[in-house]
Amino acid sequence: MVSEIIRNLAKDLRVEFRSRFAINISLAFAVIATLALSLATGGIPFPPRVQSVLLWLIIFFSAMNGLSHIFVREDDRGTSLFLLVSTTSDAIYLSKLIYNLIFMSVLLAVITPLFVFFLQVNILGIPPFIISVLTGGLSITAVTTILAAMVAKSGGKGPLFTIISFPLLLPVLWLSIFSTAATLESTGPHGYGTQLFLLAFSGFITALSFLLFRFVWLDE
Amino acid sequence: MEAINLARKFGRTSIFRDINFSVAAGESLCVTGPNGSGKSTLLRILAGLLSPTTGKVTHTLDRTIPKDAWLDHTGYTGPLVNPYDELTALEHIRFAGRRAMERATADSFLTRFDLARHRDKKVRYYSSGMKQRLKIILAFLNDPPVLILDEPSTNLDARGKDILHTYIDSIRSGKIIIIATNDPAEERLCGGGIQLGQ
Amino acid sequence: MKLKHIILRSVYIIMPAAIVMAFLWAPPAEILGEASRIMYFHVPLAWVSVLAFVVSGVLSITHLADRNRRFTGLDEWAYHSASTGMVFTILTVITGSIWAKISWGVYWNWDPRETSIVIILLIYIAYLSLRSALAHTENRGRIGSAYLILAMITLPFFIFLVPRIYDSLHPDPIINFDRTIYLDGRMRVTLGVAILAFTLLYSYIVNILNRIAILNNTVEDTFHEDH
Repeated sequence: MVSEIIRNLAKDLRVEFRSRFAINISLAFAVIATLALSLATGGIPFPPRVQSVLLWLIIFFSAMNGLSHIFVREDDRGTSLFLLVSTTSDAIYLSKLIYNLIFMSVLLAVITPLFVFFLQVNILGIPPFIISVLTGGLSITAVTTILAAMVAKSGGKGPLFTIISFPLLLPVLWLSIFSTAATLESTGPHGYGTQLFLLAFSGFITALSFLLFRFVWLDE
Repeated sequence: MEAINLARKFGRTSIFRDINFSVAAGESLCVTGPNGSGKSTLLRILAGLLSPTTGKVTHTLDRTIPKDAWLDHTGYTGPLVNPYDELTALEHIRFAGRRAMERATADSFLTRFDLARHRDKKVRYYSSGMKQRLKIILAFLNDPPVLILDEPSTNLDARGKDILHTYIDSIRSGKIIIIATNDPAEERLCGGGIQLGQ
Repeated sequence: MKLKHIILRSVYIIMPAAIVMAFLWAPPAEILGEASRIMYFHVPLAWVSVLAFVVSGVLSITHLADRNRRFTGLDEWAYHSASTGMVFTILTVITGSIWAKISWGVYWNWDPRETSIVIILLIYIAYLSLRSALAHTENRGRIGSAYLILAMITLPFFIFLVPRIYDSLHPDPIINFDRTIYLDGRMRVTLGVAILAFTLLYSYIVNILNRIAILNNTVEDTFHEDH
């Protein structure tokens, strides 16, 4: 199982690295959105709550542009049957989840500094801010990976991914917006209750997705 | 391997019904029939990639194997199994090889099917015949006891067909080989046959 | 006539009875006055919205757990329950905002219950979009079911969360003075009858949709036999 996941992940990284367009599009979108916002503010910083909402909106929509690609590509290129004959569905789910986590980390590593820089965000608690961004990103990935497989099975119709992800991501976005805003506003001691909740939520959703994945990916 | 009363419908359209047969190790079976008669569907059911609408397939090695594990001992290739455009032949072999593949094994497969020269070329630049050879290598790669080949000689030139048929002949002992084909030369490779679409 | 049909058709009597009771028999509430009668429609609609959602979810679980296919059409049943549920949810939102306007002066203010019902509505919309995008694929039933299960299991997390984030502005205290829901006997009976009537209406509609689906399948089967 572990070796299957590694084989599959190595293959996905190689294929994706050779045609970088998915990550490029997501990053380009994030950069454009951030610059457009910064331009519109004309140098006056927003209140922390608004900054937090905007940050998560940009993360959400950039993720929606890219996270479904890893499944949609298999279906688009007609390689999903080869993938299926070569590995088990369990390994497919886990390796794609890991790939999406890597994808998300790259996305966050670019979006967050850019956002802080261009929107003049003043972070009062830096470690809690970073942790709250990371746990939010982790949860978004955990929830949407199986949804990406569903979208791929429907022929990869673009906006569908956002439509079906949004209701399930609302709790994650909501909590992340609140906890990120809190790290911008105060230097006081930060509890990590929200982050623990999100971690538990991600773990739970991942376990459930793992169980449901075969019903989504295997043909009847 | 045994199939009992297989039938398959897509939506409301019935593809075939009442398919019964059994094949043992060392035996081979050809599935023939006109286009659209359900050859590919039947082969995908036998490989566990689809479920029959009614009926049952069993794979027995030492004991009956659960359906999830069929692909562990089955080599399958068909027109819908497409390799990745961005990877080279060697990378495909590394990805599909269940055990850590020794370089020599990979090389011997590539040499046998005349792809050794192209092993570091991306599949994007392959001709359709070269792709077909790669797909056949990938099906044979793990030396599976069951081989399910859907139209294996599509796009192959005379020499390619020759290599394929000689190779199938050389490994047939102890294996179950099921081929869907409309090529009379290939039908001669098989011990038994099923004719669909009557 | 089977018992099932007798029960389902009793909606023809119980629904008019509920309407008459709501408007004529039940007394007006202390503060809201005659406007309180919207309760006999809003509460049953909200109840059916949630019921339909849970029924769809449970049917989906059964559909996926039923490996030997002993039951057929459970996914379609779940779909019919969800699409009926969506209509009820929209009506719940509309009646709810009318009630909110009357008692708080605004149509919408994102209190926990309003938020929950909107999330259910979003899930219904997402599920129905997914189903329509999957038209003509073999896996439609299974993928739709998997989505509903995920959604149903995420929902409690949310219901648990919402009140922690937003203070409960809403609900119960507004009907009467003493900050608890106080309903007199006739109000209780009317509400009970209304809930029963709307539950029957929901079952009745889903049953009709199921029968239409079965007839459609039979027609297509016969059509394909002929050709």
